[in-house]
Amino acid sequence: MKQWKILMMFILALATSGIAFSQGEQERLNTLAFEMPRRPGAVFSHDDHTQTTEISDDCAICHHVYANKTLVPDESSEDNACSDCHSLQPDRKNSISLVNAFHKRCKECHYDLGKGPVLCGECHIKK
Amino acid sequence: MGPMVWISALICIFGLLVKFILIIKEVYEKERYLLSYITVRHSLRSIIAWLIPFYPRSTRMRPVYYGISYLFHVLLFLLPVFLMSHIVLINESFNLSWPAMNDTAADILTIGVIFALVFFVLRRRFIPDVRFLTSFMDYILILMVLLPFVTGFLAYHQVILYKWIVIAHVLSGEVLLIVIPFSRFSHMITAPLTRAYTGSEFGNIRHARDW
Ligand code: HEC
Ligand code: HEC
Ligand code: HEC
Ligand code: HEC
Repeated sequence: MKQWKILMMFILALATSGIAFSQGEQERLNTLAFEMPRRPGAVFSHDDHTQTTEISDDCAICHHVYANKTLVPDESSEDNACSDCHSLQPDRKNSISLVNAFHKRCKECHYDLGKGPVLCGECHIKK
Repeated sequence: MGPMVWISALICIFGLLVKFILIIKEVYEKERYLLSYITVRHSLRSIIAWLIPFYPRSTRMRPVYYGISYLFHVLLFLLPVFLMSHIVLINESFNLSWPAMNDTAADILTIGVIFALVFFVLRRRFIPDVRFLTSFMDYILILMVLLPFVTGFLAYHQVILYKWIVIAHVLSGEVLLIVIPFSRFSHMITAPLTRAYTGSEFGNIRHARDW
């Protein structure tokens, strides 16, 4: 009997540590514009990114502003969501769909710097 | 995406094209008499008859093997083409897009393809006539088809060693594409040619059907 109790305690401890582990969740993007998401929201730490030397508080790298299809330098749009300008399907106003806006922005930088994830499951980590 | 995807896709397409041209050239040089009776009508008639599931008599004689084989070939093409993750990547590269299959459906069908391949291996091991015709290379070729599906399945579920599994998935897919024109997999172009020949001989000379 005693061994059983110890075993049960052990299993219980494992189970609860699992819960404790999953509570320390990473920050994720859960863009509501994707009405029926097909992948778990991408892992993205906003603070970690703005603090890297490559970005160093240049918000416009991601929060850019366009006028007449040309990039307006030195202006930023952090009050807008990407989905305010990028719709699910590309249209005449904006040829970059929302998914591609995210994927291009995130992956191209990671690829060019050789740092940060580029594979699907490294961003869309299973919960 | 790296250049290897495009290189292997091009090797596959051009390899098949060159192979097709070589076969036609050889027919012209060595088997010219074929041209005297081969017709478009009889060729197409035979190809189409053999594409209709369970229409040719011999396929009805081995319904299990034929059924599995038919479904396998359909899925082999449909799955990769209509997989959402593949479309996302094509869309990023070419701004092309088409409707994607539901991920759960793709998942289940992938298991189906894997089972079909296991079935093909067992068949080659245990049915004496087929075993006699099987060489070691046949198992290697089956393994080459199996790998992209197994690694794709594992990658989607992020089971273990995610990064390595994805690399294995990409590489095994590329190897498969490159191998197609140089192996029995080129039956994707030679099979219709065989049908054209047989269909014309039966239709045009013996006035019979070849299905
Ligand atoms: C690496 C790219 C990147 C950089 C650099 C960046 N952001 Fe963001 N930021 C994002 C993304 C992605 C979102 C989510 C947008 C969405 O959901 O459409 C976001 C959202 C926000 C939001 C909205 C938050 C909310 O909860 O709605 C604010 C405010 C913001 N960023 C401010 C900033 C500021 C200020 C800076 C510069 C110090 C900055 N960002 C730099 C990518 C970036
Ligand atoms: C104020 C509107 C607006 C907002 C907000 C916006 N974009 Fe854009 N973006 C545009 C326009 C317009 C284009 C140009 C599209 C074209 O060429 O047709 C563009 C182009 C892009 C491109 C392709 C060109 C390039 O720079 O590489 C990417 C990637 C992109 N956006 C990502 C994002 C992301 C990620 C966000 C959110 C963090 C975002 N955009 C927010 C308007 C916006
Ligand atoms: C301008 C460059 C840049 C852009 C744009 C960018 N990243 Fe990153 N990202 C980095 C760098 C640099 C690192 C590596 C940080 C490090 O290793 O210290 C990184 C690391 C990461 C990591 C791994 C963090 C970790 O803890 O290992 C994730 C996840 C990530 N990025 C997600 C995103 C997403 C999602 C986006 C798009 C919304 C994005 N990144 C856009 C530069 C960028
Ligand atoms: C660098 C990080 C990153 C990588 C790598 C990445 N994505 Fe994403 N993906 C994002 C971000 C950020 C979004 C938008 C925010 C969100 O909803 O997660 C997104 C959105 C999506 C969406 C639309 C939302 C949904 O769930 O339907 C799909 C589909 C998707 N990604 C599939 C993929 C596939 C397939 C791959 C690999 C071929 C991939 N992603 C690789 C960051 C990434």
